[in-house]
Amino acid sequence: MARLILMFNKQVLKEYPIMKESITIGRNKDNIINIDNLAVSGYHARIDKAGSDFILTDLQSTNGTFINDKKITSHKLSHGDNIIIGKHVLLFVATEKGKVEKSPEQLDMDKTMMLNTAKQKELLSKQEQPISTVKPVEKIGVISFIDGSGLGEIELTKKLTKIGKADTSEIKLSGMLMAPTSATISKRPNGYTISFTGGMTKLKVNNKVVKDNVQLNDFDTIELGAYKFQFFQKDVNTQA
Amino acid sequence: MHIVASGITDVGLKREGNEDSFSSEDALGLYVVADGMGGHLAGEVASRISVELINKCYRKWVEEGVSADEIYGEPDNSLTLQGNYILGSIRFANRVIYEMAVENKKYHGMGTTVVILLVTQDVIIAANVGDSRIYLVRDGVIEGLSKDHTIVAEQVEMGMMTKEEAETSPLKHILTRNLGSAETVEPDIFEIEPSNNDRFILCTDGLTDLVRDEEILAMANNEKEPESLCRRLIDKVLKRGAHDNTTIISVFIMDMKGHEDGSFKKIGQFFADFFIGFHKILKKLIP
Repeated sequence: MARLILMFNKQVLKEYPIMKESITIGRNKDNIINIDNLAVSGYHARIDKAGSDFILTDLQSTNGTFINDKKITSHKLSHGDNIIIGKHVLLFVATEKGKVEKSPEQLDMDKTMMLNTAKQKELLSKQEQPISTVKPVEKIGVISFIDGSGLGEIELTKKLTKIGKADTSEIKLSGMLMAPTSATISKRPNGYTISFTGGMTKLKVNNKVVKDNVQLNDFDTIELGAYKFQFFQKDVNTQA
Repeated sequence: MHIVASGITDVGLKREGNEDSFSSEDALGLYVVADGMGGHLAGEVASRISVELINKCYRKWVEEGVSADEIYGEPDNSLTLQGNYILGSIRFANRVIYEMAVENKKYHGMGTTVVILLVTQDVIIAANVGDSRIYLVRDGVIEGLSKDHTIVAEQVEMGMMTKEEAETSPLKHILTRNLGSAETVEPDIFEIEPSNNDRFILCTDGLTDLVRDEEILAMANNEKEPESLCRRLIDKVLKRGAHDNTTIISVFIMDMKGHEDGSFKKIGQFFADFFIGFHKILKKLIP
């Protein structure tokens, strides 16, 4: 099914499968694609299905409808077309097999491309108040000591946290048998991982001895020698 | 610690030129792969310049022992000093490519992905911009050490799309970040501890478009040398049509001390357990 992907300043806001014969785009709430922005007219543009094609029509909007930088009144959509409405971009994707016709001028979707950021920057600079952009919530790992050692909670502010006796350790633990670096916790694409790095002191996660590494989940209990602590993640308040 | 590395690049079966570049500096432990984009020769220029500049910056900063405050741009306190060198070198390369693209008409619109692996005794650093990747194979498990900067990957992260949908999406190749298209760029950087027998694979999407993670894992487990691993991966890509340029570097860590399970260590650990157990009992008895 063909789809439209609504983007604003590099961020994908929403994806719309084209389910109906005709869909409208505009600021008013009764549009299928509703863009709440002053640069967008109440009923800005319409897309109609005509056989296997989709036709985009500008509904005499105040600020116009653009396809890949060209102002249009009516346009047959091709795979990869960027429909620019005000400060938003709708990317048209034709996914039905056999329907992706490519003219040499068109985008080759096999080829890596960069979103035209210059355009989006320009658009953004005119935008007074950026609308809510969807962003994944940034999380930070915390370890909380539950062994009565009085170490309390420690936030894992480094990508790689070393735990051990060495002075360079982010989390310094004492103990006769503690190695300079006994374990490390690293933030990786899939989350936090704890690794045993050596020494006489055993590393246990949820009562199981870890000889190499294991991914940490919220509220896992970690033991390192006589120390015991819990791992969890909390949301970071990113200052904008 | 012993590092063995090998790199390979192949134009493939469909493209006329090779827009990928790579470098492999065993003395520094620095490995870089870049996948350029942009018409005529611009993609090639962008990827080559990024590789050269990253090497130059990193080498210079290491040799001069500069502090994190002296790198290009604000330092990132969550990173080690080397991590900051890598960060600064990527920012610097981006700025140069961006300026070239803006000022020179024939370079207009050029850009490149970049993926960097730094291997040292104390830390492994993986950094990337774009959709080139780094994999780590450790204890028979494959793990990504890079984040794809594509529309689909971001949608997957936000839970708007499944991984399976992402793989077949026509938007798969649309990047949200690269080097050269904006004045500034922020890479994703990860730092982990090295471990004996770690195997790393740096690659462009020429590989990952055609070879699945599980297949990469199986080959990484079977091959004894980085060179034969690269060769086998490229052969697979060529067999499957090689619609794009493909570049692969594989890096193996060998003979790392302090990770073997010797008998002395086992005895030591036994006493350690005994001692700690004893200590715990004492603590309970004498509050």
